[in-house]
Amino acid sequence: MLSETPDNETSDAARWARLIEAVAVRRDREAFAALFRHFAPRIKTFMKRSGASEQLADELAQEALFAVWSKASLFDPGSAGAAAWIFTIARNLRIDALRRQKRTPTSDTSETELEFQRDEGPLPDAGVAASEIEARVRDALSALPDEQMRVIELSFFHETAHAEIAKMLDIPLGTVKSRLRLAMARLRSLLDDFS
Amino acid sequence: MTVHHHPPDELLAMFAAGTLDLGQHIGVATHLVGCPKCRAVVRAMEHVGGAMLTGLPPTAMSDGALEAMERRLDETSRTSIPERRRGPAFRDVPGLPDFLNSYPDSPWRWIAPKVHLRPIRLPEPSATRVFLLKSSPGTRMIEHTHTGLEMTCVLSGSFVHAGGHFGPGDFDFGDGSVDHDVRINSTEDCICLVAMQGDLKLNGMIGRLLQPLIRM
Repeated sequence: MLSETPDNETSDAARWARLIEAVAVRRDREAFAALFRHFAPRIKTFMKRSGASEQLADELAQEALFAVWSKASLFDPGSAGAAAWIFTIARNLRIDALRRQKRTPTSDTSETELEFQRDEGPLPDAGVAASEIEARVRDALSALPDEQMRVIELSFFHETAHAEIAKMLDIPLGTVKSRLRLAMARLRSLLDDFS
Repeated sequence: MTVHHHPPDELLAMFAAGTLDLGQHIGVATHLVGCPKCRAVVRAMEHVGGAMLTGLPPTAMSDGALEAMERRLDETSRTSIPERRRGPAFRDVPGLPDFLNSYPDSPWRWIAPKVHLRPIRLPEPSATRVFLLKSSPGTRMIEHTHTGLEMTCVLSGSFVHAGGHFGPGDFDFGDGSVDHDVRINSTEDCICLVAMQGDLKLNGMIGRLLQPLIRM
């Protein structure tokens, strides 16, 4: 959680990463159960907030954890981004579910994952290794002030309207907009600095 | 090759959050193919998504959900990771994200002197239309206006307008109010991926004659 001290953040992240690794390497059921207990109820909340019914949200949360089990070997423990990795699984399932509502039942809905695989093109100066990007991202995020991170989180990931954010944080609307702009610019410059 | 023009950070955040429509997603994904810096921004945003998820209040799972899951794991002895399917479409155009290879292919169509268009048909209805645009050296882009947001990603060649010079990997983003005089200034064809919301309207008499041809 963002409100926790950095130490807790790091140790939590390291713990989730270890659990996923245990699932990948040893097919460790206890590690999986720990992941399930923590993440499934939160993914369920995420799905409900996106408009899923109680039952659908429950199913999607289960699907997400099943994907954690099946794909654990694809997780890079060095990235320490366990929550980020599980978030991407939940995000893709949410997109799939929204598409199923729009499409005919026979159409293929398993494309989302491919759409988010970032292809690294054969361009001369694009040869930055994924692990290098991870390290850069980690450093940048730890240098980004909490209040800036919070406003990015609220605006894009909770899809909270700016006026609503202003009320929640008890700051003027103009400050929300400027803080958001500042946060994004700061993040990009931090990422640039580490390159 | 260095990328000079990037998508606004808001678009990268929405990409990471999964809230862009598919057409816009393709526009941003195409830029990411050639831009490690923006890939890092997206990755950072996914970490913010992870923090968001961890910080959500839990909703109790249905009774016996974990036990049911454990039975399911028993039945699934070996889970294989599905292979990445790649079709043959658009293989001749370098710089596109791989997943477009599984879309239906389409041929280049003449739409104006020295300008060809190749639609990318999306597997779902989207408010954003996506197409490739190929213009010969020295061409001025047809004067047009559109009612929504437009993303242009340069795949090869280059163009120039009041906003600067746009080469491979560069991302141009405009709303309907921007009226650019776009000129192709490379010695080779300039191929762009365009993701466009709303209706495209060609201006002038020639434009009106071409209008029926451009419908996709």
